[in-house]
Amino acid sequence: MSVSGKAAIAGIGATEFSKESGRSELQLAAEAVRAALADAGLEPSDVDGLVTFTMDTNTEIAVARELGIEELTFFSRVHYGGGAACATVQQAAMAVATGMAEVVVCYRAFNERSGHRFGQVQMAAAGNVDNSWSYPMGLGTPAAMVAMFARRYMHEYGATSEDFGRIAVIDRKHAATNPNAWFHERPITLDDHQSSRWIAEPLRLLDCCQESDGGVALVVTSAERARSLRQSPAVIRAAAQGSGTDQYTMTSYYRDDLTGLPEMGTVARGLWQQAGIGPSDVDVAVLYDHFTPFVLVQLEELGFCPRGEARHFIAGGALELDGELPLNPHGGQLGEAYIHGMNGIAEAVRQLRGTAVNQVAGTDHVLVTAGTGVPTSGLVLGQV
Amino acid sequence: MNEIEKEAARIAEQGESPRRLARDPVNLPMIRNWVEAIGDTNPVYTDPEAAAKSVHEGLVAPPAMAQVWTMYGLNGQRGGDDPLGAMMTVLDDAGFTSVVATNSDQTYHRYLRPDEHVAVTTRLEDVTGPKRTALGEGWFVTTTSTWYVGDEVVAEMRFRVLKFRPAAKPAEAKPVVSTPVIKPAINRDTEYFWEGTRAGELRIQRCGGCGLLRHPPGPMCPECGATKPKYLVSEGRGEVYSYVVHHHPRVPGKEVPFVVALVELEEGVRMLGELTGAAEVRVGLPVEVVFTKVDDELTMPSWRPRA
Amino acid sequence: MIQVGDSLPEWHVEATPTFVISTALATRDFQDVHHDRDLAVSRGSKDIFVNILTTTGLVQRYVTDWAGHDALVREVNIRLGAPCYAYDTLKFFGQVVSREEAGLVIEVVGRVPQGDHVVGTVKIEVAA
Repeated sequence: MSVSGKAAIAGIGATEFSKESGRSELQLAAEAVRAALADAGLEPSDVDGLVTFTMDTNTEIAVARELGIEELTFFSRVHYGGGAACATVQQAAMAVATGMAEVVVCYRAFNERSGHRFGQVQMAAAGNVDNSWSYPMGLGTPAAMVAMFARRYMHEYGATSEDFGRIAVIDRKHAATNPNAWFHERPITLDDHQSSRWIAEPLRLLDCCQESDGGVALVVTSAERARSLRQSPAVIRAAAQGSGTDQYTMTSYYRDDLTGLPEMGTVARGLWQQAGIGPSDVDVAVLYDHFTPFVLVQLEELGFCPRGEARHFIAGGALELDGELPLNPHGGQLGEAYIHGMNGIAEAVRQLRGTAVNQVAGTDHVLVTAGTGVPTSGLVLGQV
Repeated sequence: MNEIEKEAARIAEQGESPRRLARDPVNLPMIRNWVEAIGDTNPVYTDPEAAAKSVHEGLVAPPAMAQVWTMYGLNGQRGGDDPLGAMMTVLDDAGFTSVVATNSDQTYHRYLRPDEHVAVTTRLEDVTGPKRTALGEGWFVTTTSTWYVGDEVVAEMRFRVLKFRPAAKPAEAKPVVSTPVIKPAINRDTEYFWEGTRAGELRIQRCGGCGLLRHPPGPMCPECGATKPKYLVSEGRGEVYSYVVHHHPRVPGKEVPFVVALVELEEGVRMLGELTGAAEVRVGLPVEVVFTKVDDELTMPSWRPRA
Repeated sequence: MIQVGDSLPEWHVEATPTFVISTALATRDFQDVHHDRDLAVSRGSKDIFVNILTTTGLVQRYVTDWAGHDALVREVNIRLGAPCYAYDTLKFFGQVVSREEAGLVIEVVGRVPQGDHVVGTVKIEVAA
């Protein structure tokens, strides 16, 4: 039995993306869920399932209380930070496909800038035994953890800081024309990138995504029911999770090779197999971009280019809106907002509806990936 | 009501301050300085001919200069009857010593012309606080000012400043030596490693069944399934496999920038540690372990270049 | 003919130390944080920064450069956010947001790398 084609995203909703929402994380979650239901043309009373991240502070029952959702028959949470994004939709799709629930809402909401900031050293995380091989040694931020991979990638393949910078330039270019993006009308040049300060060499400030306040919610129901709702459905053609050999959270430094993301390779194989398509069938790619170097590695793991050659692929303009693989037309997490990958799924839905602000014409298949450096997940969404 | 609020109420009660005449009338030299600095090339401010042909029918001052005419200047002193000055003194005394302007809403009833002599009055409108801001804890002080030429009101302004106590800079708050370090969480599976560092040994887990060397360690060998881990003492020599130069944000116990290196030990496992004493860091740099005692419980391994 | 919704051309100001200091003095603002870097740093700033009277002046100039020499500025209302430090590029964006009886309301945003330095509105009257 395959989940492919059984379920669809029928509604998307979000709060504004800011640096200080001025309200509780629960309010952000409730607002996003309500907006997504309104978008789908559904009522809170239609919802019987909720899925979120284990990192989300808003419990399913708290969100249900705020929305006035009475009964839940399915509630689930996915681990590993941003790696959970697409997996929340996978959970929802499986619940819908197996009849465990009819309408499942996936959500993620936080005050990640004005409240608990991920960019700072997480003293609480240092109390984990796995992290005791990195945090006490001074490796305590996501940027530094990714920088360790990036340095080795540069060493092995000859990639440069400019190669990473091109991702930031593309994201910010796309965000510049997206009124919902934090960096609306604020494109950058490669020079801007090169002159931005070091955060953790070889990563510069402009290699790092923002910290944002906001919430995003996605309504998942059966493909059949979705067809009768208000919006054109984004059918879930594939939904996959992946964890690799000797996997750690952000610090999988003990594998033979440090230049890949084998967990994303696992996701990729699952996606192509379920969807029955390959990389050349993807019209738009929404790739997780908390830090630029991992976008290059993803392009390689997903099969868009050979190992070590992402920099040539990018420099050739492939990721532009009119290129062979338009990347993050909403501006990604570097440009729009960092909502742990969930805003990227919403963009994929808009691209399929034909309502995106930077619309890519004739979009049939959109690939979305979740957090990198951690056990992760991915989606292929398609037209009905 | 606290002391600051009481003083604010007292000053607000006094209402408008007496009119204070600008030091100089509106004049072309100051206008020229202003348009030069701002880069404003509108000829109605400086070119009599062009100005004569404009809607103004003569030279005028840039409207945004309204407040400039009555600024106190380098050695000017706010009078005791100036409500903003009085409120600033109250807040200075309470320890809110820094100031930053946050809002300025100016209305220009008409453009001013050279030789007109403006006077200003100011009233304290509102003082709210203490508020936590990005700059530190502080009070928002709002005043309204009115500019006159004779008895004619020519411009008005609502002005707000934040008077704050600067947040202590992290660097000054705690000298590096006394910042707490991040300590490892230690359990049954990992305590042999930290016992080793205390004894000046860099220990690598070695499977008691198949001999697999493994770092980081764990209770069950992923190769043979044995649950009898032992260890060997590493020579403590290896090469930098990858590294990071950490600049931001600050990390407890470290002075930025600092280097963290992932070292491949000669025994074949990789291990993270701070790298110090390297003039130039590169992949492949030969390093050796050094031990730094943090306290009786904890000794940290780190790396230094090897000759 | 100016329409509501029209955008002003983007304008960049390089806030060199000379610019920060000369504008502070031209607006007769002698606060040390606008001309003495050491004191500015000791007071918790990254560098010297542009004073509010200058920001008001820049906002006025941005609008009148676009609207023409005969535009009459009636109000400049601004709220300051991130400081504009020496060496920052201050980028102005503007848009006509409404038409009122006597004129137009233009919304202006000035951004520095740290965020929005100034958000404000300017009311002007222009000859019909």
